[in-house]
Amino acid sequence: MTDRIAPGPVLEFEGVGKSFGGIRALHGVDLAVREGELVALIGPSGSGKSTLLRCANRLAEPDVGTVRFEGREAPRGGAALARVRRRMGMVFQAFNLYPHLTALENVALAPRRAAGRSARGARRTAVEALERVGLGDRLDARPDQLSGGQQQRVAIARALALSPRILLLDEPTSALDPELVGSVLGVIRSLADDGVAMLIATHELAFAREAADRIVFLDEGRMVEAGPPEEILERPRTERLRTFLKRL
Amino acid sequence: MSELFETFLNPAVMGESAGLLLRGLVVTVELSLLVVPAGLALGACVAVAQALAPPWLERVVSLGVDLVRAFPPLVLLVLVVHGLPFAGIELPALVGVAVALTLNTASYYGEILRAGIAGVSAGQWEAARSSGLGTTSILRFVILPQGVRKVLPDLVGNTLEAVKLTALASVVALPDLLRMARIAQGVHFNPSPLILAAALYLALLWPLARFVRRLGASKAAPDFARSRR
Repeated sequence: MTDRIAPGPVLEFEGVGKSFGGIRALHGVDLAVREGELVALIGPSGSGKSTLLRCANRLAEPDVGTVRFEGREAPRGGAALARVRRRMGMVFQAFNLYPHLTALENVALAPRRAAGRSARGARRTAVEALERVGLGDRLDARPDQLSGGQQQRVAIARALALSPRILLLDEPTSALDPELVGSVLGVIRSLADDGVAMLIATHELAFAREAADRIVFLDEGRMVEAGPPEEILERPRTERLRTFLKRL
Repeated sequence: MSELFETFLNPAVMGESAGLLLRGLVVTVELSLLVVPAGLALGACVAVAQALAPPWLERVVSLGVDLVRAFPPLVLLVLVVHGLPFAGIELPALVGVAVALTLNTASYYGEILRAGIAGVSAGQWEAARSSGLGTTSILRFVILPQGVRKVLPDLVGNTLEAVKLTALASVVALPDLLRMARIAQGVHFNPSPLILAAALYLALLWPLARFVRRLGASKAAPDFARSRR
């Protein structure tokens, strides 16, 4: 993350649209995430937040539009796509940890088998990533021995272990008990302070207000408003955003 | 009572035929050691093909699997062993039998593994894909370890069936355990060798059957099952 290969945004969506079985989930979204920036996606369930995140690393293939990573169109498949995915960490709502592996093995798998590091190198990277999320003492725990908050922090460490240019986080705290949300948001905030670029779908408006550089409001697959947190949350310009904020 | 004993558990006959039967047991074990690994490997290929292949190839594979499964194993065996020579393919009897039984048992291993792979949640694929792992690595390190664990009792159960099925080899005159027992029975005009053969099959398969039972129990209710025993 030291030398800037391409000036401009790390991740860029241009006119990205996606339908599922005839239902339009996204309508021509334009959005750019710059280096070190934290962009929060807010909006009701089904507004397209997840779909947009999944289009970024082509877990969902956009029907129209362009996704650019470091200034270049992201490849559609094969080893080139795998290489790009390695540089975009992803964190899921349901954690999706590998249940048969320990925390350390979960984090070390991709450095070892995708990035081709040595076993020792992958292990060292994994230990560092787990220490960074405050789990240096739970290296050998299996996911079912960890709390939800700890599991999500392992998942964040897993995404960090490949030193990504950007993290994609899909409602990382929505599946957590309220008392565990804080620890996960704390980790995300510290990553933001370290300058890790992030695109995060979230319902935690207080967190978005405090940590995000920009908030993007999506509704029915369209980008309705985007701007700095105080503008979006305190001076909404559209009726749809006002209704959404009132309902929370 | 003693007549019954003389007929079915005749120690003299058993003693004399023991050597023959042990040689048969060796053939049965050899056959099993060919059929089980080959069947598992072919079954795994079938399951992975069904999980990953484009729809047309998936349909071809499924059709092949259904065809093999619809054949009674005995018919398949006779077809391969006695049919292939007409097509100019001469195989040693052991290999011919192994090929037929491998085809049969692979179709079952394949279906079991397919179910195991399908039972792994889509989130596991997505997590692995999003970290840039290739398909082979995803299968090897993420999907198969979980999928196999889910269906382990069925896999071991099918192995049991596969070993028992090797007794079919006796039909095409391969000197397996059952075949040798039948020969010994003919020589002595006494069915005791069959009982001895049954005991040998039991010794071979009983541990496996117990293993399946234990797996099934620990899968259903790990702690409960153990504490109640």
